[in-house]
Amino acid sequence: MTYVLTWLALMILLALTCASSYFPMGPWNTIANMGISCAKALLIAIFFMHLKNAGALLRIAAFTGLVFLAILFGLSWTDYATRQISPAPWQDPAA
Amino acid sequence: MPTIPFDSRLERREAALLAMWAFLVTEALFFGPLFFGYVHGRIANPAAFVSASHPMHVVLGTLNTALLMTSSLTMALAVRGAQQGKAIRLWLALTALLGLAFLGIKASEYWMESSEVAKASGAELTFYFLYFAMTGLHALHLTIGIGVVAWLWRHAARFGREYHAPVEVSGLYWHFVDVVWVFLYPMFYLLERYNA
Repeated sequence: MTYVLTWLALMILLALTCASSYFPMGPWNTIANMGISCAKALLIAIFFMHLKNAGALLRIAAFTGLVFLAILFGLSWTDYATRQISPAPWQDPAA
Repeated sequence: MPTIPFDSRLERREAALLAMWAFLVTEALFFGPLFFGYVHGRIANPAAFVSASHPMHVVLGTLNTALLMTSSLTMALAVRGAQQGKAIRLWLALTALLGLAFLGIKASEYWMESSEVAKASGAELTFYFLYFAMTGLHALHLTIGIGVVAWLWRHAARFGREYHAPVEVSGLYWHFVDVVWVFLYPMFYLLERYNA
């Protein structure tokens, strides 16, 4: 029963995210889409992947993935945000 | 007394699940750079990403998302069935068939999009590169998942109350591939649809 309810919630969220993209909301379109995606991912992780009943070990392992993804995103972004991309003169000979 | 690596069956089961979660963490980091590339590309070229995404077939993409989430439901039911010692072949077959349907629709989309890609220029090509790289990598993972589910189907008689770790860890993998798609769907299909 929990599984069917989870599936139903996923379907409703899918309908919501799809419908929301037909209403102009500026940056909120992207925020809504990503928020709904995160909600769907959480539903899948908690109920289908059994994190709800998992021990601390498995929860920490799953959380570690998110933490490392965030760290690497942050480190990469500092590079792109603070450096200018200057193409080497030997690139793109056609131009 | 022979040495055994685990004190209890519970411990052995958790070790198998932990190994799968560790693998899924590396998988998330494997997909990570492509997601980062998308974020950077979209912030740097917002207009080109929107115009490149409009030829995407949003109906097929939405249908595919629904198929994949339904396959996650059937996979979860297969895992629970195995834990309870029930027959799981029907659930496994449904899961694999839904996965195959997804791949078929995805392939037909690639086929229809090829003419749009030929017309693209500038940063639109970045969008299409990311689109094909990310959905292609996802499709590769799904293909492997279908193979694993087919293997489970073949050996379904082996699994029951006492032994079902392979079904459980395969389920985790299947759901992970589903989670990746949950993010890919709005990234490629739902950009400013109201202008399309």
